[in-house]
Amino acid sequence: MLQFSNVYKRYPEGGDALAGISFRLKPGEMAFLTGHSGAGKSTLLRLIPLIERPTRGQITVGGRNLARLGNRDIPHLRRQLGLIFQDFRLLYDRTVYDNVALPLVIAGFGPAEIGRRVRAALDKVDLLSKEKRYPRGLSGGEQQRVGIARAIVHKPPLILADEPTGNLDPALSEEIMLLFRELNQVGVTVLIASHDLGLISRLGSRVLELNQGRLEPEH
Amino acid sequence: MARNRRLQSPARSLANRLLRRFGNLPLVQRIQNYVFMHVHLFVASLGRICRTPIASAMTVLVIAIALTLPASFHTLVDNLGRAAGNLEATNHISIFLKPDAVNEVGSRIARKLAEHPQVKEARLVTKEEGLQEFRRYSGFGEALRLLDFNPLPAVVAVTPKDSLTRPEDVDRLIEELKGIDQADLVQMDSDWMHKLAAILSIARRTVGMLDLLLALAVLLIVSNTIRLELHAREEEIAITKLMGATDGFVRRPFLYTGFWYGLGGGLLAWILMSILILLLDGPVSRLAELYGGGFELEFLDGGKSLPLILAAAGLGIAGAWGVVDYHLRRMAPT
Ligand SMILES: Nc1ncnc2c1ncn2[C@@H]1O[C@H](COP(=O)(O)OP(=O)(O)OP(=O)(O)O)[C@@H](O)[C@H]1O
Ligand SMILES: [Mg+2]
Repeated sequence: MLQFSNVYKRYPEGGDALAGISFRLKPGEMAFLTGHSGAGKSTLLRLIPLIERPTRGQITVGGRNLARLGNRDIPHLRRQLGLIFQDFRLLYDRTVYDNVALPLVIAGFGPAEIGRRVRAALDKVDLLSKEKRYPRGLSGGEQQRVGIARAIVHKPPLILADEPTGNLDPALSEEIMLLFRELNQVGVTVLIASHDLGLISRLGSRVLELNQGRLEPEH
Repeated sequence: MARNRRLQSPARSLANRLLRRFGNLPLVQRIQNYVFMHVHLFVASLGRICRTPIASAMTVLVIAIALTLPASFHTLVDNLGRAAGNLEATNHISIFLKPDAVNEVGSRIARKLAEHPQVKEARLVTKEEGLQEFRRYSGFGEALRLLDFNPLPAVVAVTPKDSLTRPEDVDRLIEELKGIDQADLVQMDSDWMHKLAAILSIARRTVGMLDLLLALAVLLIVSNTIRLELHAREEEIAITKLMGATDGFVRRPFLYTGFWYGLGGGLLAWILMSILILLLDGPVSRLAELYGGGFELEFLDGGKSLPLILAAAGLGIAGAWGVVDYHLRRMAPT
């Protein structure tokens, strides 16, 4: 599903954020990406939807080499991903419903299909009763769940989450992680960047640990 | 075989592109969704404009003013041109006789000139007829009534033969007429007409340049307004692009916004022009009567209004397209 081969990322100002990263996620696999602050977790996740391009090395997503994709191909790549951001990135002048509908509107679905799928996604994150609310009026955890609903509404085969539980209390964090595992159990590949080592060890999934831009050997 | 495969590949890539665009839903439903999206954007963009009524009204007004300028200039030049056309038909020479020359002298001159090889018709306008016409058209009738004598001279109106078209031939005839004993002043009615024609041709060229300049102004107004909106919606655009929106998807609502601004400006310009013409219609037809031209101001026929409004809408779309494209290229690919 996802493969990194000797990937480097160097920002114009500053040194190598990622140096020689190689790993492979099989379809239907779930993994956590950990590491200290500044280790390169966000950078690694940004390379997959081509928000940034790697300086060196090769990345393939679903068998497609990202280096071969031009800027015109990026929208199609992104439609096959479910992205969850630490800072939510919601549209604050749109309702919860409209926010979750966005990937479907972009993909050109009709209103009936959109309604059906948005309600299914909102039901999964337990926000069906708040579809007409605006994100500002929701708690941090609820906003993050809106973001998750938006990431799963178009049923992407690969979900990338950057610290999805960063602002949640332990109970909610656990609930959301369990939601990801549920998605994983129906065949979605999931990669989650997280600090929450206690929670990660309890879930018992594969862990990729970054240290100053390099992957620690897995055990 | 190899050649065959090479020929197939563009077709296959097109098929792939279409498949990407239309996914795996039935084509009919995809088209339905596409139409629905456009109708939705059409209405939604108008709704967005109406949410900031004052700022939007200002934009529309500025566009309308920028459009009214060349439109009224066009109307002026067109109408002057038509007026000139009407007057050219009455291309005749007036011989004003000396004030003390009586009507009989005039009629003798007229009879003699009628025989002239280059003259088609020569007619006497008596002092009395002149006075009557003057009273009727000038508005000085009352003032003239105060005089106890008729100050107007007898006039012989000479119409040259139609074959006399070259200006230098006309000039020679005028010189000859000036030699007539009792002639005080010989005036070619179309003298100033030639000057008007020259002015008109310059004006027409100027109108063309003015059109270009003000079309540019409309483009700039629309793109500046849209630029501000782009700025306000930067985060929204970034997020939609992260969700896989194409440049076309991002551009579309702004094109509709540009369309509405242009259309609004065009319609308002049309209304402003109509008011202007209604206000001018009275004075102009009185003026026209005075010069025997007999024409009415023309503008509001579909032949000119529709292009004005369509051009305005088109400029709105073009302005939006330009600024959104520039913005998208700057933020590509994220
Ligand atoms: N846009 C950028 N320009 C320059 N340097 C950057 C940029 N983004 C990240 N970096 C640098 O790259 C390194 C990795 O950053 P990154 O955001 O990937 O870390 P992280 O593991 O996500 O940290 P955190 O846990 O704090 O989110 C850091 O040293 C950071 O300063
Ligand atoms: Mg980070």
